[in-house]
Amino acid sequence: MGSTPIMPDVPRNAAYMVAAYIVTAVILLAYALSLYRRTAKP
Amino acid sequence: MSLARKGRWITLVGLVCLAGVYVRALAFTPVERLQGPAQKIFYLHVPAALWTEAAMVLVGLAGIFYLFLRDPRLDRFAAASAEVGTVFATIVLTTGPIWGKPVWGTWWTWDARLTSTLFLFFLYVGYLLVRGAVRDPGLRARYAAVLGICGLCLVPFIHLSVFLFRTLHPQPIIVKPSAPSLPGSMLATWLFSLAAFTLLYVGFVTQRYALSLAREAQHGEHADHA
Repeated sequence: MGSTPIMPDVPRNAAYMVAAYIVTAVILLAYALSLYRRTAKP
Repeated sequence: MSLARKGRWITLVGLVCLAGVYVRALAFTPVERLQGPAQKIFYLHVPAALWTEAAMVLVGLAGIFYLFLRDPRLDRFAAASAEVGTVFATIVLTTGPIWGKPVWGTWWTWDARLTSTLFLFFLYVGYLLVRGAVRDPGLRARYAAVLGICGLCLVPFIHLSVFLFRTLHPQPIIVKPSAPSLPGSMLATWLFSLAAFTLLYVGFVTQRYALSLAREAQHGEHADHA
């Protein structure tokens, strides 16, 4: 009788991924905006 | 076109590419079976970490050349690279624990890789504080150059720490002597992300360099670097 290999369930941790992507975007956009404002000053 | 404007355009292209990385990583790159979706933090964490280290290497090299040549352009570049490196180090030190919690079961551990990366972050902050505290341009550049060279010495230790010590942090799967141990689709996403972070580094440094030039002109700071 053939046996099917048992596949482990994929962990449900998408919230951590979303948090990391948001944090990265916020840091990069904040710095880009900061540079824009500083270099735009006359 | 002014230097600041060029930097803004490069940054804008970098941000658009990063948006493309988000779409590709979240929608078109397969989920790793053992780690789950949290593994996708890899596409941001590792390119940011590479540029954190590369930025400090460039700060250190600029420092070495500055001490010989006393060229203010090198000091300006080092200051710009250090500020951008600090931003990327912040990304590494926030995305790392967010990735570590679901995969290792802990936000932080005092192992060699994590601790030395935190030390690099403090070195970056110290570098920026020194630059802000010393008013004399020549003295400021020399102190900063020495700190930059210290950072340069730290970077190889950070990269090799996973081989030298028993750490929870995994060994490199891309930047290593043998071929990358990653499926093609994941590698393509990672390379795309590395390109986006490279554009962001160049764009940010160009703008920050232009800002230093403008400040020097505004304050009539004829840098005495002799």
